[in-house]
Amino acid sequence: MISIETQLRDVQRVDLANLPEEDTELSINQLNLYYADKQALFDITMRIPKNQVTAFIGPSGCGKSTLLRCINRMNDLVDDCRIDGEVLLKQKNIYAKSVDVAALRRNIGMVFQRPNPFPKSIYENVIYGLRLQGIKDKRVLDEAAEKALRAAALWKEVKDRLNDSAFGLSGGQQQRLVIARAIAIEPQVLLLDEPTSALDPISTLTVEELITSLKEQYTVVIVTHNMQQAARVSDQTAFMYMGELIEYSDTNSLFTTPSKKQTEDYITGRYG
Amino acid sequence: MNNWFKSGSPWIWMTAGAVSISLIAVLGLLLMIAWRGLVYFWPSSIYQFDVLQANGESQTLIGEIYDTESIPARRLSDQGIDLRGHKGEFISRELIKTGNREYVDLDFRWVLESDIVSRSQPAGLAMFERSKNGNFYGYITEVLQQGEPVSGDKTEQLHQLIERANDLNEQAIDLQNDEIGSINYQLEQLRLKRRSLEINDKLTDAAIASLDAQKEQLQAQYQILEKALFAIRDKTERDAVVVTDMRGEKITLPLNQVLDVTQPNDMNIAEKIWHFLRQIGKFVSQDPREANTEGGVFPAIFGTVFMVMLMAVIVTPFGVIAAIYLHEYAQKGPVTKMLRIAVINLAGVPSIVYGVFGLGFFVYILGGSIDELFYPEALPGPTFGTPGVLWSAITLAILTLPVVIVSTEEGLSRIPMSLRQGSLALGATKAETLWRIVIPMASPAIMTGLILAVARAAGEVAPLMLVGVVKSAPMLPLDGNFPFFHLDRKFMHLGFHIYDVGFQSPNVEAARPLVFATAFLLVAVIVGLNITAIGIRNHLREKFRSLEN
Repeated sequence: MISIETQLRDVQRVDLANLPEEDTELSINQLNLYYADKQALFDITMRIPKNQVTAFIGPSGCGKSTLLRCINRMNDLVDDCRIDGEVLLKQKNIYAKSVDVAALRRNIGMVFQRPNPFPKSIYENVIYGLRLQGIKDKRVLDEAAEKALRAAALWKEVKDRLNDSAFGLSGGQQQRLVIARAIAIEPQVLLLDEPTSALDPISTLTVEELITSLKEQYTVVIVTHNMQQAARVSDQTAFMYMGELIEYSDTNSLFTTPSKKQTEDYITGRYG
Repeated sequence: MNNWFKSGSPWIWMTAGAVSISLIAVLGLLLMIAWRGLVYFWPSSIYQFDVLQANGESQTLIGEIYDTESIPARRLSDQGIDLRGHKGEFISRELIKTGNREYVDLDFRWVLESDIVSRSQPAGLAMFERSKNGNFYGYITEVLQQGEPVSGDKTEQLHQLIERANDLNEQAIDLQNDEIGSINYQLEQLRLKRRSLEINDKLTDAAIASLDAQKEQLQAQYQILEKALFAIRDKTERDAVVVTDMRGEKITLPLNQVLDVTQPNDMNIAEKIWHFLRQIGKFVSQDPREANTEGGVFPAIFGTVFMVMLMAVIVTPFGVIAAIYLHEYAQKGPVTKMLRIAVINLAGVPSIVYGVFGLGFFVYILGGSIDELFYPEALPGPTFGTPGVLWSAITLAILTLPVVIVSTEEGLSRIPMSLRQGSLALGATKAETLWRIVIPMASPAIMTGLILAVARAAGEVAPLMLVGVVKSAPMLPLDGNFPFFHLDRKFMHLGFHIYDVGFQSPNVEAARPLVFATAFLLVAVIVGLNITAIGIRNHLREKFRSLEN
């Protein structure tokens, strides 16, 4: 096994506890989440810096995906899910009554574990979000599609078959297509829920490079079960266990000098 | 033996046997119907028999053999039929179709095989298909053109003259149905307009004058057309054919009543096949004649397909919308569960109950109200307040609604959650996700529901007898008169046609092959409709294939 240390890069350190307001994209304050009577998240408080990659790691069932889904209110779809506490996007609570959920999700894009292209052409997949916004101008759509596909490092591979079905792409290409689809509507935040867990190593590498390049424009939050991946791509890492946020710091210190025993046990492979 | 049981082979045999029996049953049914139906169109040989009469004299019979059966001799002797010392338990007899209905008492008769002195298939024997009184059998003796016998090849000349007469007849029918029909329709509209003005107290002198002027104009046109019609009719009466029948008498048949003449004894196999195909073509394209015992079934085919399509147009949106509500919006609880059970149970209600409901609610209440509101000028004559194709389609639509709802729901539940989430995550609302992703992807399942609905509806007869089907509908629900679709009209249906021809016919023997032919056609129409729908579904499936990986 490759040691995690070798995967780390030099990153600029930020003081997460006292992050200035203008550098904060998201703040989660005392968030508790219940599925019916069962509590799944306990009192989570954290700040996610702007234009950086933040990773959530932890063993299966620790609540990292649930927390990610709180950020774009995907948990609303679960019938008996109840949330208290708040999630602020640019200082605005996304759980406030006046919030338009669809508009919120336009600002916070999401990519799921398995590639989920729509049964449409590659082109139509990419501009799906734009069509929803009622954009009909062919030139605008074409430009947006090209830009998004280039940003997702897919343009070269698909430019000659934009009108073919998206199902004809490989798994890795599909996942990049889904990322292109998410960034075509230019969100502020991009949530990635284990985006490479269904991909082969080479596709994984491509997607990871893509994630690193995306942070210039977007704030990226990634959930992963793969610690090497977290070490490779993220600037901040949060370790979660049993619905609680155990440790949250910049990636280098979390992996080299964890402050909590549980974190150390996890990253050294003693459980999980 | 015990080991054999344990090995599981008996199960394989049993299950495979069940499948084979089902398969044989279905194929056997189709083959039997197809065979007995299609034989009707095959030009069978015409025989000339010498038959011994009760008084010992011999009589000549000309006709086709329709059926042969072997029955206990005892039964016949009990009926007082002289078997002339026949020995043996069984005796066989033949059913002979002699035609010539207006000259002999029976156009079908049973003849004991033992009474037949001789039989032959003489060349030159001809069968005349006539527009009245059924077939005529005999020898072509003379062909009269304008009352004068023609010289040369009689048969060829006859065919030409028949073709001419048929063309003229067709012209006359076209004129009657299209032009004259259209004028009648307009006259009726004028009458209704006048009545409508009268009811609303708007019938001014000016209006009357205008209506009368229009009426006169139409009547003038009518006079002209009528004259043209009579002229054509006169022309058709020009020629005739003299036929020697089985009694040896010469009968003159006017050619305007002869539709076709065939001499099957002189035909080779290619000619017979050609004739066979032509007869099938006529069967599916012509109107019925003689109380449905002769001619084609085109109006019934048209009525069946039209009604089923109308039903499909009604049931699909309703079923799909209801299924979407049940599956996507309704809260999961006991009430939804009850509703779903109720919907499924609706499929088990006997179809005649739907017919009664359709008659009571749609025809009388809904149709009656529509008449009062929109067609007061036609009252007391009903417009929609009487059974018709619209009510039939709606009645069958509720009958098949459960099928569409159930399969649509099944389709909706098969759409992966990840795709819905993918759409929602891009800022789509639930409705947008439904429209753009979920419903298109569920369309193969919707088509499956529609296929089942069409299969059920096309074969349903009982409720239709209450809400719109008739034995003979002079006008199709679709014609050239504005507004083209006449949904208030009654229509003919293949299923009902089978019942009518088989059980309500004045001439049971003549109608029996038609029952099989019509049944075969009904099966063919349903299969055709289904294949179309299945083709569309497979196309859609191909489009949305993939998500299984």
